[in-house]
This record gives sequence, structure tokens and C-alpha cells, in this order.
Amino acid sequence: MPTILITGASRGIGLESARQYAADGWTVLACCRTPDTASELKAIGGVSVHALDVTDIGAVDRLARSIDQPVDVLMNNAGQNMRPPRGLGDMNYAAWSNLFAVNTLAPFKMIEAFQDHLRRSDRKIVLNVSSVMGSITDTSGGHVAYRSTKAALNMVTKVLAGDLAGDGIIVFSIHPGWVRTDMGGPSAAISPEQSAAGMKKVVESAGAGSNGRFFDWKGDTIAW
Amino acid sequence: MPSVFVTGANRGLGLEFVRQYSADGWRVFAGCRTPGSADALSAIAAETDGRTTLHAIDVSDRAAVQRLALTIDEPIDLLINNAGQMESWDEGFGRIDYAKWEDLLRTNLFGPAWVSHAFAPHIAKSDRRLIAMMTSGLGSITDNRIGGRNPPGKLYLYRSSKAALNMLVSKLSFDLKARGIAVMAMGPGHVQTDMGGPTAKLMPPESITAVRKVLADRTLEHTGRYFFYTGEEYPW
Repeated sequence: MPTILITGASRGIGLESARQYAADGWTVLACCRTPDTASELKAIGGVSVHALDVTDIGAVDRLARSIDQPVDVLMNNAGQNMRPPRGLGDMNYAAWSNLFAVNTLAPFKMIEAFQDHLRRSDRKIVLNVSSVMGSITDTSGGHVAYRSTKAALNMVTKVLAGDLAGDGIIVFSIHPGWVRTDMGGPSAAISPEQSAAGMKKVVESAGAGSNGRFFDWKGDTIAW
Repeated sequence: MPSVFVTGANRGLGLEFVRQYSADGWRVFAGCRTPGSADALSAIAAETDGRTTLHAIDVSDRAAVQRLALTIDEPIDLLINNAGQMESWDEGFGRIDYAKWEDLLRTNLFGPAWVSHAFAPHIAKSDRRLIAMMTSGLGSITDNRIGGRNPPGKLYLYRSSKAALNMLVSKLSFDLKARGIAVMAMGPGHVQTDMGGPTAKLMPPESITAVRKVLADRTLEHTGRYFFYTGEEYPW
């Protein structure tokens, strides 16, 4: 059975993805900051839960060393938004910088640390959970901090795709939809179940042509 | 005469901007970290009867940027956010320095945000009201591909900071529209500078002549867009 590693697995889309992959019999390595309080995650049978703050570079390396099995799919799902969103006039730059650490640098670090696990696997897929808000082509205003971290993540996806194509690793960005989670809020358009199931299908159908692309949860291409 | 504020003015493209605008008789505010050691810049300024002035500015120091803005009381027609950093080509996948990545984002993204915000009042009271962010073709996610203008792979820190800066251009253009200020991203091409290296095909005078030509006829109608030095629109 294939293995998936999911970050930010204690709630929302990460939790639901862990549930769905586990139900399909995959080996699920589920990472979250505080497993002690991740009761819903721990309630899923057959999931191994790992404590990980993705912004802790040393901790990411230690986790990678402690896991010996190949990783077929790396789902870089952990992410944050800025609450409340701020414009440049009242921007909290320390918070913006932290947002880059979580949303941009951490996914890259995960790929660096788990590159050998990916290479040894059959599927070799990395999905960077991004957002349509990271599309620069979208000209609506606001949320500059969050959007910039996702645009930067999309760049990382594209550059990695060029660097790692020779190893057969497939990297793409994916917009999970506007989902009813703590981040998306109660009035969002789709449920975590719909989002996770959609992204799972995109992973199932991923091939070399998916490398360096930006999809939504239905598999449609989003403009950079 | 129109006025221009250029950051990172002591060398490379910044120095060339100052040289050309000074020669055209513009009022030039030339910002760099240590004016005391900016000999080439001082030599240009010395020929301008005081029209070109040097200003100490470290764009990664927000408080210092704000303090400098308070000391300048003139309108600024054109702000060129030119100061920027790049890591070396061998700092690729597997050899990333994460502290450096954060520093580079501070200089290449927060710096332009701080300078633009601090000088928006000066720009708003000028005639042309234009902010140019010197990004790069390397900031184009679309063009980062085999057969594109830019070779794929590497320079993760620089490329991601410029993609983020392009996002800032898009959102800042939205915010500043009501004040009549246009914001755009400019790719100067691959130029022989300390950053561009000795194999680049363009020399600073050609690149900056072309960039100035593009900027000269850009208005609020072009806000939030990304242009190459040739005047072509660049894909995000």
C-alpha cells in the first residue's frame, strides 16, 4: 500500500485527507504541532501521528531521519492566514514574515528533507496546498500578506518542477477550494469531505504532465 | 522638472538610472546604504548643481525608511524600488539557507513595501504618480520553463521573493488607485551588473534607456501590470 505524509493533519482539510487515505488502506503519516490535543486525528484507525512544527527546520530533519519507509505522496497542507487581514498601512510585518515561514519556506524544507523518501517511492508526488488567492492574475484587492506567501509557494512549485523532473518527482500546487474549515469559515462553498476527495482524485490521476502546474480541487488549471 | 527617487543607487542599474535621469535634468533622490563610500554616485551628483542628492537608506530598516521620508518635503513623480538582493546560483535545492531566505524577503519584498508606503504622500502630490518595482524576468512563474527567457531551476530565494513582489504590485495597485498612483513591475532584462554577472547580454545603459522609455508613457491605465524592458507585457 502507498504511503502519504500530511502536514497540518489535526484539523480541516488535512484531517479529512488523513481520514480518506486511511479509509482507502494507505499508510498515513500525519503530522501536527500538538498530537496531545489532536483527538480527532488519533481517533482514525491506522494513522501514525507525528509531532511537527513545520517551521522548525531541525525538527523536520529529525522527523525525516526517523521515518524509514518510502513516501509516495507528500501533502504540504499546513498553512496559515493572517487574521485580521491587513493592508500596508497597518501591516504586522513580523506576522507577515512568520506567514512566509509557514506557507512558503516550510513546504520547501519538507521537500528537501523527504526527497529521498519520495525518490524511493513508486508515485513520487508532492502537492503544495496553495490557494487561488496566490494567483497574481486574479486582480481583486486585499490580503496582500497571505496572497504573497502563496504566490511565492507557487514559484517554489514551478522551480522545483524543473529541478526535480529528472528524478521523476512530480510537484504541483493545488487550490483546495473555499472550504468550511477554521480558515475558510462557516459560510464557505464546500465541505472538507468534498475538497479532500477532489484533491485525492487529482493525485490519483497525476502524471508527468502535472509537474509544475497549478490545479484546483476539481483538477482544473488555475492561472499563475 | 520631474523628480525621481531611486533605491540601491550606488551601483548597477540604480547607478545607471541616476546617471540618465541626472543627465536629463531631473531632480534625483539617490538612495543607498552608505553614501559616504558611493564614489561613482557622488561623482554624478557633483555635476548637477545640487539637483541630484544622496540619501542614506537601508530599505530593510523600516524605521529608517520612515524617518527619511519625513525629511523630504518635495513631490516625487517616480519612485523606482530598485534595491534588491540575490543568492548565488549554487545555493540550490538541498543547500538552502532559511535565515537568508527570510532576510532576502525582507530586502526584496518588505523593503519596497516600506519605501512605497513611506513615500506615497510625496508621490500623490506629484504630476506623474508612478511606482516602478524592479522585479525580474526571474520573477515570472509562467516563464520559468525550458524554452523560456529564463532557465528553469535554482535561485529559489530570489525567484520566490520576486513572485511575492509581483503580488505586491498587483495588490498595491489596487490600494493606490484612488490616490491616482500607478504601480507596475518592471523586468530590466539580463544585464551585466554585479548581480547579473559578466555573461549577461545587455549593458546597463541599454537596459535603463529602454526601461525609462517604457516608464515614460505608463499611466494609471497600466497599473498593476508587469512589463519587460522592451515594453512587452510579461506573464505572471
